[in-house]
Amino acid sequence: MGSLFGDWPSFDPHNFSQLRPSDPSSPSRMTPATYHPTHSRTLPPPDQVITTDAKNILLRHIYQRAEEKDLRPKRAAPEHLVPEHGCKQPRASSSSC
Amino acid sequence: MGDVSDRIGRPTDNGQIGIIDPDCRLIGLHLYDGLFKVIPFDNKGQLKEAFNIRLEELQVLDIKFLYGCSKPTIVVLYQDNKDARHVKTYEVALKDKDFVEGPWSQNNLDNGANLLIPVPPPLCGVIIIGEETIVYCSANAFKAIPIRPSITRAYGRVDADGSRYLLGDHTGLLHLLVITHEKERVTGLKIELLGETSIASTISYLDNAFVYIGSSYGDSQLVKLNLQPDAKGSYVEVLERYVNLGPIVDFCVVDLERQGQGQVVTCSGAYKDGSLRIVRNGIGINEQASVELQGIKGMWSLRSSTDDPFDTFLVVSFISETRILAMNIEDELEETEIEGFCSQVQTLFCHDAVFNQLVQVTSSSVRLVNSTSRELRNEWNARPGYSINVATANATQVLLATGGGHLVYLEIGDGVLTEVKLAQLEYEISCLDINPIGENSNYSQLAAVGMWTDISVRIFSLPDLNLITKEPLGGEIIPRSVLLCVFEGISYLLCALGDGHLLNFLLNTSTGELADRKKVSLGTQPITLRTFSSKNTTHVFAASDRPTVIYSSNKKLLYSNVNLKEVSHMCPFNSAAFPDSLAIAKEGELTIGTIDDIQKLHIRSIPLGEHVRRICHQEQSRTFAICSLKLNQSSTEDSETHYIRLLDDQTFEFISTYQLDTFEYACSILSCSFSDDSNVYYCAGTAYVLPEENEPTKGRILVFIVEDGKLQLIAEKETKGSVYSLNAFNGKLLAGINQKIQLYKWMLREDGTRELQSECGHHGHILALYVQTRGDFIVVGDLMKSISLLIYKHEEGAIEERARDYNANWMSAVEILDDDIYLGAENNFNLFTVRKNSEGATDEERGRLEVAGEYHLGEFVNRFRHGSLVMRLPDSDVGQIPTVIFGTVNGVIGVIASLPHEQYLFLEKLQSNLRKVIKGVGGLSHEQWRSFNNEKKVVDARNFLDGDLIESFLDLNRSKMDEVSKAMNVTVEELCKRVEELTRLH
Repeated sequence: MGSLFGDWPSFDPHNFSQLRPSDPSSPSRMTPATYHPTHSRTLPPPDQVITTDAKNILLRHIYQRAEEKDLRPKRAAPEHLVPEHGCKQPRASSSSC
Repeated sequence: MGDVSDRIGRPTDNGQIGIIDPDCRLIGLHLYDGLFKVIPFDNKGQLKEAFNIRLEELQVLDIKFLYGCSKPTIVVLYQDNKDARHVKTYEVALKDKDFVEGPWSQNNLDNGANLLIPVPPPLCGVIIIGEETIVYCSANAFKAIPIRPSITRAYGRVDADGSRYLLGDHTGLLHLLVITHEKERVTGLKIELLGETSIASTISYLDNAFVYIGSSYGDSQLVKLNLQPDAKGSYVEVLERYVNLGPIVDFCVVDLERQGQGQVVTCSGAYKDGSLRIVRNGIGINEQASVELQGIKGMWSLRSSTDDPFDTFLVVSFISETRILAMNIEDELEETEIEGFCSQVQTLFCHDAVFNQLVQVTSSSVRLVNSTSRELRNEWNARPGYSINVATANATQVLLATGGGHLVYLEIGDGVLTEVKLAQLEYEISCLDINPIGENSNYSQLAAVGMWTDISVRIFSLPDLNLITKEPLGGEIIPRSVLLCVFEGISYLLCALGDGHLLNFLLNTSTGELADRKKVSLGTQPITLRTFSSKNTTHVFAASDRPTVIYSSNKKLLYSNVNLKEVSHMCPFNSAAFPDSLAIAKEGELTIGTIDDIQKLHIRSIPLGEHVRRICHQEQSRTFAICSLKLNQSSTEDSETHYIRLLDDQTFEFISTYQLDTFEYACSILSCSFSDDSNVYYCAGTAYVLPEENEPTKGRILVFIVEDGKLQLIAEKETKGSVYSLNAFNGKLLAGINQKIQLYKWMLREDGTRELQSECGHHGHILALYVQTRGDFIVVGDLMKSISLLIYKHEEGAIEERARDYNANWMSAVEILDDDIYLGAENNFNLFTVRKNSEGATDEERGRLEVAGEYHLGEFVNRFRHGSLVMRLPDSDVGQIPTVIFGTVNGVIGVIASLPHEQYLFLEKLQSNLRKVIKGVGGLSHEQWRSFNNEKKVVDARNFLDGDLIESFLDLNRSKMDEVSKAMNVTVEELCKRVEELTRLH
């Protein structure tokens, strides 16, 4: 059976099937017992302490930029590395002059 | 766990936001303007170091994670500096710890857009809820629908695929929003009105059309969504309500039943969910029927046959006769006869017996009567000269005492009474009981006997009447009533004394030994104890000048007052017409009534359908006056109307109303009288709240008198600001008006009418919001300048400042605890006390209120009032401890008790030992939680104790109690006794 809205989803048809509504004019007051843990089982694991990166956002940003700079190759290296200051080779042309 | 606060940063105005990425890659927090904090998860679910990202948008309204994004993506709803609202998306680049521009954004939304709903796959995208439109937005779709103007407060997803949502608005209307879609592409939006609920703060679709509506403005509800509308067109059916007192804006402490016990009447809830709540300690009797009957000496109910589930007869005994009442066919109680009973004398005891029989004990004999034919079957006569003084019986046994200390034990057979045993005791017997508490519910193996002369209670074995235990009670007051009973599987002997004290012992049913003696004071007159059952649980009714129900919870005996003045006798009367009822004899009257649920606090709701902001009670006219406001909704514009209303203090009905002017708000109300005038008045303070003004510059003080149940305006006085507070002061009226404290005289004009005339004032506050007075002293709680102390000088007719606290606390309530100590609550949920330093050596020292106590309550206190919810017995120790009650935004009612120094030190030690035993869930430290904590400082709590923590000692198991006891070097019994004493303060 459908309606304007379609059916309401059901995960388990047993849920709420036993509900006996109380008189809505007299609200129910449930006072749940307070849980007092006398054990240490709810303590967080010692390696799970959340800390915040103390570095200032601006500084972090600058360092990051700097790092990026360091990593980036400055210029494409020539295919064949030629020693800049090696034994000088006589220019072929000069010999021809 | 960890601390994610930052040292710098401006806390967000619109509240903190905490969200989790749907693919669990990170937690996002928006705690400070311009910052978005990320706590990343690694792939094992471990939390890693958190970091902040700069968020350009400063006025953030909402942030959500989007579904179905390869990188974690947030959508931010914000307002720009021209008050226009937009959404923007950002991807969180975890490695770079920065935002990357997101896939889409949308500018210039509804000016009232305030809520984002992320839609799960396959549709994805986000719904933006505005006040006039709802928009669906994603990278490749944009759909919008107009809605009736409303502010959506909460949403709940219905379907896992996110195609339907429940929306709750500020007037409590529940709508269904449907996303229509085709082939995973959104084609449009639809909205339908379902019905009305409490104003929702949370909406959770549970299952099978059941929805939980969590409300911080009214009672929370369990509702069912029906497929077809009811007669009023509503699809919503409210099945259950869960009490919520919050927000408590104001309250008063009154004694409506004039029994010497306070009740708290709160202004609770907001807008249409506004109500008055009557909170009282103790159990109510709801009267069903009553007749006038003087001089009742005893009452018993009887059945007409052994297996009849209902009682038929009510036997009422008087000094020289016995009358029998029974229900007739019209369900009326009428007089009848049991022929076999002797009705010309007083009945000492009656009981149903086996074999369809009834037993009647009079001073001369025991009569056994057929319960159907009502004829006498057998009679046992006391020996001449030894009349029966006290008697008791159960279904098979009779125990009675005659003069001369004779104890006689009879057994009941089919038409026969057999004298089984006679014992001679050394003194007269004052009371008896053989209530069966063993396995056989018709037969007791023990008898409890209370004695004159040696003031003792004794346990005898049955049937041989051997003495097992003798317990001297001490003192000179004889036991008047004894009772053997079982609570939660534990056997007790209760013994009530002639002076209103009650002793209880643990009873070992196999050995008859008594242990663990405890004494409490219930009243001042002799007590009669009777058992009764309610909801299949046995309780004990102690009839006296302070009738009390004794019950057990978590294997502890608890005592709860009954809201009746004086009860001489009580017996359960479970008839077909009045099931589970009690017959009660009080003040010349016999009443049949049902009893409330057995619990400590009772709350009655008076829904008003409008927002109540102030309340005060007037004893003389037996009325309440309230300040309230009602929202008037029209298609064009919402407006508010403010009222002063008069309510009857018994029926809580409106009996008179005074409507305030347009833009006029009621800010304060007071019942008071003036010097040289015997009348009692209601004074109300108001403010004209004009849209163009930052602070009100005009207000009124209205003086009303209650005449023939009507509010009559007697005088009015214009003021130069909002009248935040009114106090009766030396026969005059003291008002807090904006930054000023102003004193008014009540003057008689020549024509005989009266008027308020300004006498003197005191400037020097930001806003003098909260004022309390004591003698000539005035304590002012300022908006942001903490507490100051003023004094009124009669001769000079002037008010001067005497001292102040120089801390910058933003106050929410103040109260005077005693001449020298003043209590304050501030807006960071802290409490503190300041002390007047009269003995200071210099003017500077005397002019400084010294901070004495500091404590983090964790609640926003709106009001303090002197008073107590429990009966204060002048003879008890706790009766001497002054208490203040407070009410908070979350609906908490609490008690602050001023303890003697010795007791404080003892309990402080107990508290610090309990902190070692009761550990905070998740490792959160109690000490840290209770530290006074505001923007400026964090300091350890001092001169305040956490009563809830201390009382939790009683819930510990024995080994943990022993641990605490050892550390304290005080026995467990002593600790229990001292903590139990404390529990009787509230």
